[in-house]
Amino acid sequence: MSNTIIDCDVHPRPRSLEDLHVYLPKRWHNSHLLISRPFYIHPNHVLRLDAVTPDNGSPGSDPSFMREHLLDPYGISYAILLPLGYVNMHPNPYMASDLASAYNQWLVDVWLDGDNKDGRYKGSITVAPQNPKAAVEEIAKWADHPHMVQVMMDSGANTNYGHMQFYPIYEACEHYGLPIALHPTGEGLGICSPASSGYPTTYMEWSVGLTFSIQAHLVSFITEGVFERFPDLKLVLVEGGSAWLPSLMWRMDNAWKGLRDSVPWLTKRPSEYVKEHVRITSQPLETTDHPKHLLANLEMMDAKNIMMFASDYPHWDFDDPKRAFPKLPEDMKNRIFYENAKELYKLP
Amino acid sequence: MMEKGDNLIEYKIGTVDEIPEGSCKIVTISGKSIGVFNVNGEFFALRNTCPHQGAELCKGKIVGIHVCGESIDDIKLVREGEFIRCPWHGWEFDIKTGKSLIDPKKTYVRSYEVSVKPSCDEELQVETFPTRVQADVILVKV
Repeated sequence: MSNTIIDCDVHPRPRSLEDLHVYLPKRWHNSHLLISRPFYIHPNHVLRLDAVTPDNGSPGSDPSFMREHLLDPYGISYAILLPLGYVNMHPNPYMASDLASAYNQWLVDVWLDGDNKDGRYKGSITVAPQNPKAAVEEIAKWADHPHMVQVMMDSGANTNYGHMQFYPIYEACEHYGLPIALHPTGEGLGICSPASSGYPTTYMEWSVGLTFSIQAHLVSFITEGVFERFPDLKLVLVEGGSAWLPSLMWRMDNAWKGLRDSVPWLTKRPSEYVKEHVRITSQPLETTDHPKHLLANLEMMDAKNIMMFASDYPHWDFDDPKRAFPKLPEDMKNRIFYENAKELYKLP
Repeated sequence: MMEKGDNLIEYKIGTVDEIPEGSCKIVTISGKSIGVFNVNGEFFALRNTCPHQGAELCKGKIVGIHVCGESIDDIKLVREGEFIRCPWHGWEFDIKTGKSLIDPKKTYVRSYEVSVKPSCDEELQVETFPTRVQADVILVKV
């Protein structure tokens, strides 16, 4: 295993509601009562039990302990931080954007500026898609922060993300050279559609189904021509799985051959946009009893050039950088674990 | 039929008034099914087999194509009548060249040379009334 790893999905959490409310206007305090999901709650533990901080704080709430527990033992050079703000579930777009702002200020104060002398924590600017205008302002506010490396939206939404209402957000991302990352969690909560026909029953059904949400957004980005409008935009698909990508690319390419006339803005095969504009994180890697099938799948999606390692620390379905993958060809391993993310996020 | 130097043979497949503008006539020439098209008064011939999965290509719809003009939101319908859309999966082929729009280098259908000549055959003139202008004949080189 390489000594240099970039972990592209790490979740910091406020220690308590109060820690976040310092940054949230008072008028919202009575309406904002949760820093986790109100349902689709993991039946056992959604946070690794061994990741509780020494002072009994929530896993992911202490930058110093995360360095000791995750970064140092695994030789992780950079952790890309994606706070899960449950922003998209709220029907009030003003509250949603204020909540996004609160998470960003909290992330900067506690993590990016607070305990980050070595610069290993890199942040994501949370935006509320319910309020594109505020999202653009939020991106402008933080784009020049030395440790903010991307913009993120929850893939739980009520509109597919290729839709024109979100173009101001992508325009800002492109302008500031920041990728837009999508990460599941709000699916089926509040005003967000579930990722399926109706509502899943169990946490298992809900969590397995999150992949559909990410796939639907990707198809929307491609078919709506977002990458023709914003040719320098990069899209990062986080925690939505990856094994489906080869067949989805084939399916999109086949559909395009017969339906090109309805999407005349597409100037090349959908799969070519994926290779050029999309990066996908590895966790949860869809492993099988037959490692050669997984290796073939990685080859088919061109994982060497588009996949980025992620652990999802401190969540229960953590992928251990040393154990999650079968033995990979050396050049593929280096690109997945380090180079692809280094290039995307322009890390030193 | 007339022998030609390139070993291809010109076959008379009918007269120009049988294939009005924007239409296609499917004929069989030495066992090959071929579609003969009239595109704005010019004639073209394509093998009636889609290179994708073998559908009878020339039974598809004759169409134009949508393209983006100055900007991505400026959608224009252009080259009306110049494309045949396969009746199965809808792949579009340029009637004038046989080349597909999605992959012109690798995906194309055989096209044949077509010429139009004044009619001089006795057999065709016998049946015509003196007042009718004799239609030119269409020749396809296969």
